Amino acid sequence: MKLSRRNFMKTVAAMGATAFLMNYKMDVVEALTETKDYWHVCWLNGADCQGCSISFVQAVNPDLIEILTNILVGNSGLPLVLPDYMEVAHPASGSLAEKLKEERWMKAPFKILICEGAVQEEGYCSVGGRDYTEVIKEAAEVADAIIAIGQCATFGGIPSGNPNPTRAMGVQEYLNKVGINKTVINLPLCPMNPDHLVLTLAALIIGVKPELDQYGRPKVFFGKNMHMELCPYRPYYDRGIFKTRPDGEGCRFKMGCKGPGVWTDCALRKFNNHLSFCNETNICYGCSEPEWPDKFSPFYKEVTALPNVLGWDATAIGQSLLGATAAGIVVHGIKRAATKGKKEEKEE
Amino acid sequence: MAKVVVDPVTRIEGHLGITMETKEVKTSTGTWTLVDKAYSHTNLFRGFEIILKGRDPRDAYFLTQRICGVCHAVHGAASMQALDHAYGVTPPPAAVLVRNILHACFYCYDHMIHTYLLVGPELGVVAKYPPMVPPALGKAGIAKLGLGSSYAKCVEMQRIANEATALWGGRAPFPVAEYPGGVTVKPTLDRIAGTIGRMNQVWYFAVHTMYNDLMALVERNEHIGNAISTLLDVEFRGLQDLGPSYPYQLSYGLFPDPENYDDWVKAQDGEKSRRKSAVIHAGAWDGDFKPFELGKIKEYVKYSKYSNECTGLHPKDGKTIPDKNKPGAYAWAKAPRYDDKPYEVGPFARMVNTFGLRWKFEVTNPVTGESFTFDWKALNPNSSVIDRVAARVAQTILFSTKAMEWAIELKQYINEKTINEKTANFDYVPNTAEGFGLWDAPRGALLHYTKIKGGKIDNYQCVVPSTWNLGPRDDFDQPGPVEKALENTWLPQLDVPTIANTLYPDADIDASAFGLGMVKWGDALAVALKPLGLAPLNMENGYNTSLALAIVRSFDPCIACAVHEIDITIK
Repeated sequence: MKLSRRNFMKTVAAMGATAFLMNYKMDVVEALTETKDYWHVCWLNGADCQGCSISFVQAVNPDLIEILTNILVGNSGLPLVLPDYMEVAHPASGSLAEKLKEERWMKAPFKILICEGAVQEEGYCSVGGRDYTEVIKEAAEVADAIIAIGQCATFGGIPSGNPNPTRAMGVQEYLNKVGINKTVINLPLCPMNPDHLVLTLAALIIGVKPELDQYGRPKVFFGKNMHMELCPYRPYYDRGIFKTRPDGEGCRFKMGCKGPGVWTDCALRKFNNHLSFCNETNICYGCSEPEWPDKFSPFYKEVTALPNVLGWDATAIGQSLLGATAAGIVVHGIKRAATKGKKEEKEE
Repeated sequence: MAKVVVDPVTRIEGHLGITMETKEVKTSTGTWTLVDKAYSHTNLFRGFEIILKGRDPRDAYFLTQRICGVCHAVHGAASMQALDHAYGVTPPPAAVLVRNILHACFYCYDHMIHTYLLVGPELGVVAKYPPMVPPALGKAGIAKLGLGSSYAKCVEMQRIANEATALWGGRAPFPVAEYPGGVTVKPTLDRIAGTIGRMNQVWYFAVHTMYNDLMALVERNEHIGNAISTLLDVEFRGLQDLGPSYPYQLSYGLFPDPENYDDWVKAQDGEKSRRKSAVIHAGAWDGDFKPFELGKIKEYVKYSKYSNECTGLHPKDGKTIPDKNKPGAYAWAKAPRYDDKPYEVGPFARMVNTFGLRWKFEVTNPVTGESFTFDWKALNPNSSVIDRVAARVAQTILFSTKAMEWAIELKQYINEKTINEKTANFDYVPNTAEGFGLWDAPRGALLHYTKIKGGKIDNYQCVVPSTWNLGPRDDFDQPGPVEKALENTWLPQLDVPTIANTLYPDADIDASAFGLGMVKWGDALAVALKPLGLAPLNMENGYNTSLALAIVRSFDPCIACAVHEIDITIK
């Protein structure tokens, strides 16, 4: 079945939005050929490391060359993404780069703004001789859709780590602060998963707004608990087998894996051509969540009493999933205790 | 004198601006504008060291990788080796092999992406070499004009190299698998086979595409030299006269010998060392091989926005007292110097410190048995745009071979220890300790220093490659390497297509597929540039900054690195 804007919603309704975007990536891309409106992209970098840009370059099916040159949108003659402005990859530098932003992107009828990096207090980051706070504000004011990519742009990331020396924050928080009443689509992770961005862009261009959770993350990518629902090492946990030495094998929970407090599809979607994710070689350290890294640091610390130790309140999070996770941990703890006959397991 | 400013400089890591003061030179053919003095200003500060303070020392491995998302893994390496050093442990041979494989694959990605996506486009234009120009006309352009063929292939190959990194590191960017005294990843036959299969493809690309592209640049180099010399009536041999800095070249070395790790550690202990048992040697080349000595590094702040009492100190004792309005200061970065001299760091420095000025080595692909001899005589002993590119090509060939060799070697170690017994317990963190990590990032020599007190980070310092290369003038008024390299660069008052037509006046490009007949190189470029609004590419204030940008990019600047360390004391 070929997807079009008309049957898009039907399919989504039939499958649920989550399953849809998960499974129909190539169809989404195809649907682009029937789209009328071309969306211009401006990619801004604030307090960042450009790891998300590099992650974007790792995209597959479609890969970067296809995204930049081959997947044409409708009859625009232009590809899915050809940023009018992008520091890390654009041919133009200096005044021409700035001019292209003003003349091509700002005047386009449909504008997507992609933000990489946190927004700091004035005086710490400037681009083209202007402070980044000003640059992003001006772009956000005219943008028709705003996507924040990576932990820094979504929730402030490492720059906002204690003591937050530059008063860094995520894009949504900044826009709220300066009175720009727009919803930012948050695609966290450090770095963001290229799939997430490609799919979100395609969905926007087709005319579908992804459903967001309370942190602005598309539920389709960030609606499942890693430990409870997706981690391939979960069976170890259920059997009470834990990795307790760097060269051991088992569930990473006792090393400090943050999986139980993390909502992301990393374990399913993985990185680098869907090859691997952090737990394959070490632990999850929680980069999909607000207030990372502080709430998850030290990374090598077991999260036995997760909700308390990390200062989380299950009701504030508002997701029964955390309750379920905590309950699950208790249940499994008891189950393990029962199987192994060890009392100390109960405290989990 | 005019002032030419480029801000932002794109296709580098981070936020960089450069300011160039010009001078006029009169020759028999006219009056030409050259760069007289150059100043680089770095435009982002995040405050990493402040954020690290008080955390679990092992968190630094994860967090410092985010200093730079392009050259992430190397910060992990330097950070982990600082921890090894502080813990007083050495990783067992199997762990050294795993680390070497992970970083060799990472290096191939980094050098490839720099060569094609970042510095390559300007070189492709000046050398009239379509494969290195971005594929602006898509698949049709690649098929009909070869426009961007290598560029497009590189996108695929860097991805494959990153997959190999991810096999060992969990993912790339930001691998996670190193631990003090070893690694947390298991060597498996699956990972070994996956690495060899992928790096075999990278090897083929490095030997048969990257090397050929380098040779294509060399082949056109004499013409470039002649054409510009004739036009300007100055002596200009070609790309080797573009962007030379100093004869001083600093390297910390790369890839320790798994069976001789003690030799590697000597440099961290402060002993004079060349780390000759490693694949890339440490050293402080000054026209001849000199051993590296940690104690000879000092940082100067005469032109940096810090109080003068911060000047002339070893990074370990470094002070950072900001003085925003200090008269004459123009940079946030300090000026690191070795033995009080400005040293360039990076791919060229690694090659001369290992091979001297002639880089000749033979590699054999362990999968196919195909042999290849790389042979390059440095065209400019003070380094140059073309020499830096050649060094990256050489290292991609060398490291992709090594990655496969180490993966094969690792098979013998598959059941051996991958962690030092002292650190095998996750609860163990030393109470009081300090350590240095010395590694080379793709951009050059990288130092991490960690000081642990009460089991937490008390002080963390990094001296990073882009501070060496892009730092400002020092207390002796010596310009930093990039500032030096920009001096005397030609700033043509002609746009890119016009220059291309001047350098290559023959109409020998068949653009019939795009509705044109035979056209000149510059006119073909204009076809690609105009629809994207890029016709005035690199023009600033009437001056064409293409050559200057190629010089800056040839250093592979990483600004996030260079300014990560501005340690604004908040009390």
